[in-house]
Amino acid sequence: MLLPTFALIFFINLYPLVRGGVISFQRLTVFTLNRPRFIGFENYRTLITDPNFWNIILNTVVWIFFSVLFQLVFGFILALLLVKPFKGRGLYMGVVFYPWALSGFAIGLLWSWILNGQFGILNDILIKLHLIKQPISFLSDPRFAMFSVIMINVWYGIPFFAIMLLAALQSVPKELYEAAQIDGATMWHRLVRITIPCIKPAITSTVLLRIIWVMNFPDIIYGTTRGGPAGATNILSVQMINIVYYQNNFGKASALGIIITGVLLAFSVAYLIVAEKGAFEL
Amino acid sequence: MKYRVLSILRVLGLIVYLLFAVFPLVWIILTSIKPINEVYSFPIKYLPSRISFDAYRYLFSFARFQVYFKNSFLVATVSALFSTSFSLMSGYVLSRFQFKLKHFLLLTLFFVQMLPTYLLMIPQFTMFSKLKLTNTLLSIVIIYTGFGAAFGAIMARAFFKSLPKEIEEAAWIDGCSRFEALLKVVLPVFLPNVGAIFSFCFVNSWNEVFTAVLFIHSDHKMTVPVALYSFVSKAGIQWNVMAAGIVVALLPTVLVFAIAQRYIIQGLTQGALKG
Repeated sequence: MLLPTFALIFFINLYPLVRGGVISFQRLTVFTLNRPRFIGFENYRTLITDPNFWNIILNTVVWIFFSVLFQLVFGFILALLLVKPFKGRGLYMGVVFYPWALSGFAIGLLWSWILNGQFGILNDILIKLHLIKQPISFLSDPRFAMFSVIMINVWYGIPFFAIMLLAALQSVPKELYEAAQIDGATMWHRLVRITIPCIKPAITSTVLLRIIWVMNFPDIIYGTTRGGPAGATNILSVQMINIVYYQNNFGKASALGIIITGVLLAFSVAYLIVAEKGAFEL
Repeated sequence: MKYRVLSILRVLGLIVYLLFAVFPLVWIILTSIKPINEVYSFPIKYLPSRISFDAYRYLFSFARFQVYFKNSFLVATVSALFSTSFSLMSGYVLSRFQFKLKHFLLLTLFFVQMLPTYLLMIPQFTMFSKLKLTNTLLSIVIIYTGFGAAFGAIMARAFFKSLPKEIEEAAWIDGCSRFEALLKVVLPVFLPNVGAIFSFCFVNSWNEVFTAVLFIHSDHKMTVPVALYSFVSKAGIQWNVMAAGIVVALLPTVLVFAIAQRYIIQGLTQGALKG
């Protein structure tokens, strides 16, 4: 009964992971697939000594930090708005949570039309509201590109946080609020003293899960800027795909993949430690 | 009074978010049914003066989207069927039995979730090219089944755990074998959850782009995301056609989500979090 799943996992996930480690020490391109040559740490050296490398790391940190922060804040607000039942709540949730199932790549393409510097509707609205005078090239101006892709990612990720936090909010015992009401606690106090402490485990594990996921999410950036302009939105995952698609350098891309896996592992271990402490049940 | 202000704020917040969430999809649909001269009009025309299906006609004849759509549908359906059945089997065992390696296998399932498709596509490509399977739909079906089975197993296990054992045990007492009990008693109750796992796997396979772009080269084997990807680099694609392509890529998952969202959400929150 277990065999099909775990045989596949071995064949599709675990063995390729090891194989990727081997390839990262080889000179291997799409044209020399059958003639790999071991070159030691050469791939890693080219990666790390690339002057853009630290810029990519910085971009990745900015991308993760602001994406997750705003997804958490807005997702939490949305969950709070939804926690008390009202007529049509099910329908409302069914409608607003739909981005969650969409292709990130197609979402990127979709937003690049909305943010278009010439015919984009967002520029049109902002000009009509007299908020800006000249249209902004949201995706082709290096000053705005990172901000723009993060905004798209926030739009995409709010439902996930809202779903997770709503589930947690609904499990906070009602008696606590009733007791607080009797003691005359204000709204704010109830939020800070009861709600947030009660759902803290859920927040921590959702955030960690989301950090891992957002780091691994090149889809939106690939649908909009592919890391450009001038590397302004280049993050680790996008860079790896660019090396595969444009340089066809499998060895170098695998070395970057191993670096990404290392970072991922660190976060996964953190996640599992937090999770084992009681946030979820394995 | 204070309560009143708050509830007005709440309604306002919900309306603002509704507009924010729905507006991109509405805008792309509007773009896809505009006549071409209104797509690039200045100042921007919000609503089309007449509805034009030119973009879709172009897409499904000249741009051969009927082929890509069929490929995507085939790949997503077949891989979801396999991964759903595999994950039901392993989810059942992992929820009902105690054995030595169980903790290790569960950790493996969770660990595998952290590895995205793009990270493993190079070694997978070298493996499949040794088997002479690159540039086939079969190759991506196998890969998607693997990814789906891992996640599906976590969901299935959570579902089975929430299902009282007593239902099964009652059937055993009535003389059913374990398998019969599963088929006749558990499965009917469980059907919505099977649907949730299936749609989750379907959606993920439908949306996957990076492995497919690397593996598929022949035009007649492309999936919808690969076709969209090649659109971007093609010069002279008009935005109403692009918009129609995006709508075609998005709509199936929107529909699947609309049907199965309640159960998917239930499975997700049960699988990942225990409040």
